[in-house]
Amino acid sequence: MEKTKIESKKISVFYGDKKALSGISLDIPEKRVTSLIGPSGCGKSTFLRCLNRMNDTIDICRIEGKILVDGEDIYDRKLDPVLLRARIGMVFQKPNPFPKSIFDNVAYGPKIHGLTNSKDELSELVESSLKKAGLFNEVKDRLNEPGTSLSGGQQQRLCIARAIAVSPEVILMDEPCSALDPIATAVIEELIDEISKNFTIVIVTHSMQQAARVSNQTAFFHMGNLIEVGKTDEVFSMPKEKKTQDYITGKIG
Amino acid sequence: MGFWSFLIIFCFISFYVYWYSSTKALKFNANIKNGSKLPSLPSYYGTYSFFWLILPIFLILVTWFFFKPFFLDILLIKKIPSDFLTTFEGNPDMLVDTIKATNPEKFFPGTNPVIIESAKYFQNLKIISDSYVYIGTLLLGLIFSTFSLRKISVAFRARQAVEKTNVNLLILCSTIAIITTIGIIFSLIFEALRFFEKVPIFDFLLGITWSPQTAIREDQVASEGLFGAIPIFTGTLLITLIAMAVAIPIGLLSAIYLSEYAKPKIRATIKPILEILAGVPTVVYGFFAAITVGPFLKEIALFFGFSIASESALAAGGVMGIMIIPFISSLSDDVMSAVPQSMRDGSYAVGATKSETIKQVVLPAALPGVVAAILLAVSRAIGETMIVVMAAGISANLTMNPFESVTTVTVQIVTLLVGDQEFDSAKTLAAFALGITLFFLTLFLNLIALKIVRKYREKYE
Ligand SMILES: Nc1ncnc2c1ncn2[C@@H]1O[C@H](COP(=O)(O)OP(=O)(O)O)[C@@H](O)[C@H]1O
Ligand SMILES: [Mg+2]
Repeated sequence: MEKTKIESKKISVFYGDKKALSGISLDIPEKRVTSLIGPSGCGKSTFLRCLNRMNDTIDICRIEGKILVDGEDIYDRKLDPVLLRARIGMVFQKPNPFPKSIFDNVAYGPKIHGLTNSKDELSELVESSLKKAGLFNEVKDRLNEPGTSLSGGQQQRLCIARAIAVSPEVILMDEPCSALDPIATAVIEELIDEISKNFTIVIVTHSMQQAARVSNQTAFFHMGNLIEVGKTDEVFSMPKEKKTQDYITGKIG
Repeated sequence: MGFWSFLIIFCFISFYVYWYSSTKALKFNANIKNGSKLPSLPSYYGTYSFFWLILPIFLILVTWFFFKPFFLDILLIKKIPSDFLTTFEGNPDMLVDTIKATNPEKFFPGTNPVIIESAKYFQNLKIISDSYVYIGTLLLGLIFSTFSLRKISVAFRARQAVEKTNVNLLILCSTIAIITTIGIIFSLIFEALRFFEKVPIFDFLLGITWSPQTAIREDQVASEGLFGAIPIFTGTLLITLIAMAVAIPIGLLSAIYLSEYAKPKIRATIKPILEILAGVPTVVYGFFAAITVGPFLKEIALFFGFSIASESALAAGGVMGIMIIPFISSLSDDVMSAVPQSMRDGSYAVGATKSETIKQVVLPAALPGVVAAILLAVSRAIGETMIVVMAAGISANLTMNPFESVTTVTVQIVTLLVGDQEFDSAKTLAAFALGITLFFLTLFLNLIALKIVRKYREKYE
């Protein structure tokens, strides 16, 4: 039996008066890939952003329910969301490298958290993070060039390296390939497969093929509700719910 | 025809030309049963004809207003009886000026009748020549636009032609701005060169005493002024430094508050209030500095047991700093708000706090804009005159002590130019020398800042 990394218990989210999620209970297994699928606007991003309290940065957003990471309530008053985000990294839909050099992009997190004691250690950490993100060989000669000079796919891998560099336990990805071409997408999917040995990954995707290719567990959201969750092959081959069936066969979307 | 009737007729004709041309294009299209229609929309043909109406009119009017004085002078001199011209004491220019200044209806008793006659002639000439030109240009414009009507055909792309004309108009406008700037620089340079004939350039640039009191009459003693500009430039530097020391921290911090922390409602309230600071007339700041801040500083100094003048660089610079806060805060707030939210999200997602995010992501990304804002503020501080006159005095002390009275370049320019002075005395000409030096100084500052911004951009964008 897999160990559960994140347990969400009856999570409801409101933007102002508008309810975006209602009563989501979902367990996310450790060192596995969980994908969230569903038509756009159904609350996938909202749920993902609850997991590392990114929704705190939105004023009108209000959350009910509990989320436990390793059994610890992350919405506990005593818990510092800043520290939580170092444990639960995030990669966004649009690659968003900082306007800094490639090196500084990756070194950003480690510097803030003081993870290294010397310059050499820092460059080692940057190098190993870039290697884990499968980007090192492409950029090793131009670490001082701006991160924005890379191609879209490379930028997204740079953002993954940036997240990896602070050694998080979980990496959240919000449609990481939606701005990329098929080749860059394939590279990222391979990368996800690779890093899932060491990290728990939750990925939002609008592509069912992608969910089927990369994930072990799939959760289907519809209009703020979690309709169905299960092993990826089971959800796709024999969905229990009619709505899931409809979505997979393209009847709703 | 007076100017207003010209304007009304012109508007009327413009509408007519536009309407006629576009209607003609419409009809042209309607007549084509099969085959290709006109390549552009009818309105473009209207606009094209309108351009042919307005451009000749505009060009001729501009030329006319430029050459009118010379032209009228020539006619006037021809009209004056030559024997009167030769008997008139003084040069003919003065006579022409006298005639122009004479009102033929209300002249001084005893004015020479020839002058009154000429004045009448001149007034008439002014009105009549204007009418001729107005009528002439209107006719010419009409002829041109009529010819443009003949171009309405399938082969003629009016849309592209209008586009081209638009571009040329834009270029023309920017050229005007550039030419004006060049004109200003040259007039400054020529006057400054005349000054440097009287005072050696190195005495001016390197001298440390500024006392421009030249004698009004030749026989007065102490007719030699001293024109060492260094105290004035250090004074400017000192006041600008004080002003920036006040404005940069306060401006930047309030910009950070506004763009990163303030709720939208609060921001919408505070920002306009801050911007009001920039709208207060500088005289008001001046007397605030002179009447409130200066004496207040003096009191404080007395309390600590030393005495300072109530006119001080600190009072002027400090108040000036307050005045330019909005230049920095408002612009910096704009550029910081323009930094995409995704940058901040990226930073939060690796576990950075808000202040770390601002320091390391938002500010660096906004730096070129912030530098530009600071530059604008600096040039504003250097150019500010009123506050300094009122609160820092006009004595040119060579000092870096903020409690002393100092003066700045712009203040000196003003004091040199007001008052009864011959226009070619060293004292007045010194104003131009100061002006051109200030110009090059700020140009230099701008170039450096541009370099910094460029370098930064290359690195990060
Ligand atoms: N910042 C926000 N403010 C207000 N409403 C929001 C905000 N973000 C998302 N929503 C609303 O919440 C719902 C779910 O959005 P989201 O989680 O982005 O969906 P998905 O990622 O599945 O496309 C949508 O109806 C959307 O309009
Ligand atoms: Mg989304």
